[in-house]
Amino acid sequence: MSTDTEFHIHHDSAEKVGRRERLGVRLLIVADGSFVFGMMFSWFYLRNLNENNAWLPKGVHTFTTASGYTAAIGLIIAALAHRAGEMNHGLRRVSSIVVFLALLIGAVYQWHQMAHMPFIAHDDNGRPFYNGAYASNWVLVAGANMFHYLLGAFVALGLVIRGYRTKLDPVLEEWRQRTAGSWFTWIAISGILCAIAASFK
Amino acid sequence: MTTLSHAPVSTRPIPNPKRSLITRLNMGTGIIVGAIFCWGTYYAMRAGRDMTDSHNVNKVLLASMLMWSFGFLVGIGALIGPFRWLIGKDLTAEEQLYLAGDGQGVKRYFKYCTDHKVVGIQYLVGVMTMLGVGGTMAMMIRTNLATPGSHLVTPNVYNSLVGLHGITMIIAMIIVATGPFGNYIMPIMIGARDMAFPRLNALSWWVLFTAIPVLCSAWFLGGIPTGWTAYAPLSDQAGPGMNAFLATIIIFAVSTAVAGMNITTTVIAMRAKGMKWNRVPIFVVGATISVALAIPAFPTFMLAMIQTGMDRTIATGFYDANVGGSGWLYANLFWIMGHPEVYVILIPGVAALMEIAPVFVRKPLFSYNAAIAGFAGIAGLSVLVWAHHMYMSGWMPSLNGPFMITTEFISVPTGLLFLVLVGTLWRGRPWMKLPMLSVYAFLWNFLIGGITGVYLSDVPADNYLHGSMFVTAHFHYTLMGAAFTGAMAGLVYWFPKMTGRMLNERAGYIAFWLIQIGFNVLFLGMFMAGAQGQPRRVADYAFVYEHSNMISTAGAYSVGIGMITLLWAVVHSWRNGKIAPMNPWGAKTLEWTVPYPVPLENFDVEPIITSDPYGYGKAAN
Repeated sequence: MSTDTEFHIHHDSAEKVGRRERLGVRLLIVADGSFVFGMMFSWFYLRNLNENNAWLPKGVHTFTTASGYTAAIGLIIAALAHRAGEMNHGLRRVSSIVVFLALLIGAVYQWHQMAHMPFIAHDDNGRPFYNGAYASNWVLVAGANMFHYLLGAFVALGLVIRGYRTKLDPVLEEWRQRTAGSWFTWIAISGILCAIAASFK
Repeated sequence: MTTLSHAPVSTRPIPNPKRSLITRLNMGTGIIVGAIFCWGTYYAMRAGRDMTDSHNVNKVLLASMLMWSFGFLVGIGALIGPFRWLIGKDLTAEEQLYLAGDGQGVKRYFKYCTDHKVVGIQYLVGVMTMLGVGGTMAMMIRTNLATPGSHLVTPNVYNSLVGLHGITMIIAMIIVATGPFGNYIMPIMIGARDMAFPRLNALSWWVLFTAIPVLCSAWFLGGIPTGWTAYAPLSDQAGPGMNAFLATIIIFAVSTAVAGMNITTTVIAMRAKGMKWNRVPIFVVGATISVALAIPAFPTFMLAMIQTGMDRTIATGFYDANVGGSGWLYANLFWIMGHPEVYVILIPGVAALMEIAPVFVRKPLFSYNAAIAGFAGIAGLSVLVWAHHMYMSGWMPSLNGPFMITTEFISVPTGLLFLVLVGTLWRGRPWMKLPMLSVYAFLWNFLIGGITGVYLSDVPADNYLHGSMFVTAHFHYTLMGAAFTGAMAGLVYWFPKMTGRMLNERAGYIAFWLIQIGFNVLFLGMFMAGAQGQPRRVADYAFVYEHSNMISTAGAYSVGIGMITLLWAVVHSWRNGKIAPMNPWGAKTLEWTVPYPVPLENFDVEPIITSDPYGYGKAAN
């Protein structure tokens, strides 16, 4: 126990503060979930509408069905590794590093995927555009995944560094691990939902 | 509501973190860093790009605006906390107390201050500024419409005026009650020492603050031609000013999510001992339901703006039918947010009036449970009615019937709110002070706003009335006539607690009557014009609508003078008003048990709640 997090301006116990932080993060997950729901709605709405037969115009290349899932693998591994660390405290430091690396590598892979999208076409003036509503939705989903990867990596890096510091309140840190677990679980679920949507061409 | 002595809170060290970066940052450094980020992004992205291509222009402008917001937050010190968490060196006690503004006087209002009372005042000033800007635009609109053939402004400028007036007022109205009173008063009402997340509380305000210059920049970029609804594909094709609109909404959605999460968590997790759910003041319940409703609602608005931004910058086609997009997608995403947003605005205003009515009739709130059922019913149904805004768009005509039913059904929980207020007034002896007058004004205005809403929810009637001034008058009756009236009552009611002074009563009465009479003249005239068929959002009109428009404009000037009077009353009273006693209204909620200035942590002793807050006419316990 150190002086670093011993004090809290509300004078509340670490237990109370921890519970409160978890509730706050879960409410933010509700907001993020609403955003993801909106993306799913966009995907299936435009797909079923197929305006001007331009959901997937003829001759446009697509990603494979597996591409969405491979993009989500980093998120899934991170959630599982974090869960393993929560269940076995001896693994916590290692699991934190695995979580961070999984998210970092996942972010790099997602970036690579976004940089090599097969459906970008060019107009008469040579300017690029996303050809078809499928392409538009794909880039949006990939962007959301990227946001989750980067935010997750920030949290994971914090947990790695804090795991090596001894001058922190252990009770509050325990709650923060659980709170981070809520976030990692959610972004994995979101990645899977996006992958499922992306498999509907 | 009774408070009993409990263990005193611990003494705190005097904050003096001399070597900390926190002490050197303020609004000025925020503006400087924000401007550097903004201009740096602008010039870096311009380099090597073909700026005759609208996609590139939009890309550069949108990125610059968002980087302004980010840079400002860096410059004011908003990211110090997260960074310190990242490296495992949490803010010390001294730094936290410094951030809370302890002993910093007026300077703390220009810093990243975490004290909820400071944030409440920041919101109050921000809201009044936005209402002033939006109101000035409204006066220009009404002046242009005073007579047919007026050329005060060009049609393009008129379009921009309508759109920017709309979005400025919508943002102002969303925060008009939950911003100032939800931050300043609500934590004290529930017996908390601060909000659950004080740093995020400051963040919600300063993020919103960064949106204001972004929105204002739309004027210098050619304005917006779309109205506040920013319908696609028009918004896809609009000029550079549209980027300001998109960036504003994206920034605002972040602020709303953070504020909503913070207020909801505070109420759920930080109520005083003994404050069971049936003892929570009704304003707190209303504000919480409102912000909790905003948490899932606003991200879809943000998504719609991001999709529009992507169409405009990287040439996706969400709303471009040539590449498989559809304007209906935008309309759905927008109104899935848009209709709940009406209740996000309305509920806190009504809840403030429900808080006020028992105090001034000295009777318990009539059926507290019915009030909560009304709020919950409205919130629940509000997410099932969005397509009534799209009856005439051609989207899914087979769903018009179901959406008509859900929309009309919402009048049932709304009726409960009327019942609660009328029941509270019934056989009471009202103390006719200014806040109480607003309760009556609300009942009149909201009755008109509600009944005309039933007409508009009806598909055949909407077929004739949609897109007309009738719709404009209807939603002004609900948002201004009801929600703003509630917020104005809240301002007068809580003014003594927020400023330590009483609001100038005479000026307040003059402002009240000028606003309320003017408001009714303005919008009853507009109902006439709408029923005759005058379309909204058009800069000119036929002579047949001349009289109703002249009446409306006369009413608008009355409202304008009333608002200026109210502003004078607020500013004058804040500086020179009569010193307020601790509990000028004899109310029973917790905020009236603390002195002014309210101590940093609100209570010297932790309150314990032993009764409900509306026990008027009962023996004290």
